[in-house]
Amino acid sequence: MASHGEGSDAPVDPMVSQFEKHPISSILIIIAMQTEALPVVNKFQLVENPHSPFPEGVPWVHYHGTYKDITMNLVWPGKDSTLGVDSVGTVSASLVTYASILALRPDLIINAGTAGGFKARGAGIGDVFLISHVAFHDRRIPIPVFDQYGVGSRQTFSTPNLLKALNLKAGKLSTGDSLDMTPKDEESIAANDATVKDMEGAAVAYVADLLKVPAIFVKAVTDIVDGEKPTAEEFLQNLAAVTAALDEAVARIIDFIGGKCLSEL
Amino acid sequence: MAPHGEGAPLDPTVAQVGRQPISSILIVIAMQTEALPVVNKLKLVENPHSPFPEGVPWVHYHGTYKDIVIHLVWPGKDLSLGVDNIGTVSASLVTYASIQALQHDLIINAGTAGGFKAKGAEIGDIFLVSHVAFHDRRIPIPVFDLYGVGSRQTFPTPNLLKTLNLKSGKLSTGDSLDMTPQDETSITANDATVKDMEGAALAYVADLLKVPVIFVKAVTDIVDGDKPAAEEFLQNLVAVTAALDEAVDQIVNFITGKCLFEL
Repeated sequence: MASHGEGSDAPVDPMVSQFEKHPISSILIIIAMQTEALPVVNKFQLVENPHSPFPEGVPWVHYHGTYKDITMNLVWPGKDSTLGVDSVGTVSASLVTYASILALRPDLIINAGTAGGFKARGAGIGDVFLISHVAFHDRRIPIPVFDQYGVGSRQTFSTPNLLKALNLKAGKLSTGDSLDMTPKDEESIAANDATVKDMEGAAVAYVADLLKVPAIFVKAVTDIVDGEKPTAEEFLQNLAAVTAALDEAVARIIDFIGGKCLSEL
Repeated sequence: MAPHGEGAPLDPTVAQVGRQPISSILIVIAMQTEALPVVNKLKLVENPHSPFPEGVPWVHYHGTYKDIVIHLVWPGKDLSLGVDNIGTVSASLVTYASIQALQHDLIINAGTAGGFKAKGAEIGDIFLVSHVAFHDRRIPIPVFDLYGVGSRQTFPTPNLLKTLNLKSGKLSTGDSLDMTPQDETSITANDATVKDMEGAALAYVADLLKVPVIFVKAVTDIVDGDKPAAEEFLQNLVAVTAALDEAVDQIVNFITGKCLFEL
C-alpha cells in the first residue's frame, strides 16, 4: 500500500509489488456493524466459521466463502460482550484487522461501511465513495512530528481502474471515535480535506500499513454532517437503505476484482 | 480483571489463577523515555527473537526478578515519523499481541499522565488507578454511549495501595494531548483525577482476554493549571519518569511471592 503523502510517485513497498502480478486470490472485508455486514454476507453466501481463527472470548465473527475463485473472508468485530452493541470505533477495528491479517493472510483488504458526508464537499445521502486518503481528526498532539503521527494521514491503495469502471465518487476520509463533531473536530476534518467521516478507516489503514497489506475503503453516506438534522437521528433513519446501496457497491467491486492482479485495479 | 461496576464478580479463570503465586507479569509502557529507566532498573534485556510479526516496531524486553518472569513491551517508534507510538490504537495492538504471544498473570500499564489539581493531583504524584474510561469517544445513541465511554474497574489491589502508600484515583483516556471543552465535560463525568492516552484501551483488551490489569500513572503536568500541557509535560518528563520507575520497582518487589488475591 502506498505510504504517506500525495502522489502516485510515492514508492510502493517491494513486498506489494511482487504480489501485484498474481491474480488476487484472497480478500478480507472488514465491516464494523452487523447491519452493514449481513447484506454483504448474504449477497456472497458467506457462512460463519464455526472454528473461529480468533482467541477464545473475543466477540469477533468470521464469515467465509468462495466467489469466482477468490477466497472471501468477512470479519465483523461483533457485539460488545457486556453491552450488546456493535464494537464500533478505532480500537476494535485495529484489533480485528490485526488478528485477521495474521490468521487469514489476505492479498487485499476492503473496509466497507457507512459514513457521514459533507454537502459542502459534494456528498449526498446514499453516495458511495472510494477513498483516496485517510486520516484521524481526534488525535491532537501539539508537539512537532507527534502531531503528524496523531493525524496518521495515509494514501490508500491506488485503484484508478476500479474507480473509473464503477463510476464511484472519490474523496478523502477522516476518522474519529465520536459520532458527533465538536468545533475542534470540524477544524481537523477540514484540515484533512475530508469529504466523508467515519469511525474506523484510518485505524484499519494504520494496521494494514504496519503489516504491508494493500487496503481500499468503500464508504456509503448515511447522514449529512454539515446539514440541519442531528447526526445520530439521520444516521439511524437512513442506515437500512444505505447499507443496501453499500452492499450493492461491494458486490460490483468484488466482481471487478475477480481474476485481476493488484496492479490492474 | 473485575468487569464494569463496583464489586462485580471476578472471572472464574482469574479466580482460579489467583490462588497461585504470580509467576509472570507484562509491563506495557508507551514511551521510550518512560520505558528505559524501568528496563534498566529491572535489568531486562531486549529479546532479539521478537514474538511479534515482522515489520512491526514493537519492542519486547524480558528478564527474571526474584522468580517472576518480567516482560516489558514498548510499542516502539513510528516507522515513518520516528516518534513513540503513543495512543489507544498502538496500545491495544501491542497489548493484544503480547497477551497472545506470552503468558501473563498480571499486566501493569505504567506511564505518565496529566493530573487535575482540583482533584488533588500534583506534579510527581504516582497514582494507582481505580477505574478507567475514555473521554473522546462520544456516541450519543443509547447503550452505544456507554460502549464509547468504556468504563471499567481495574483489578483491585488494596494491600498494594496501602503498603506503598500510593494515591488512588480514576483515569480518563483520550488520543489527544490537549483538552477541548467537550473533553473536559467527559473527563469530569468520568470523575477522573488523571488523564492519559492509553489506559482505557489497554483495559479493554485485558478485559477481552481476561487478564487482570493495574495502572500506575505519574503526573507530569497539571491539566487545570496555567501552563500549556505540551510544554509542562516535556519539561517534567525526565524527572517524573524517574519517580515512575521507582514506583514500578517497588510494585514488582511487593508482588513477588504473592498471589493475585494477596495484592
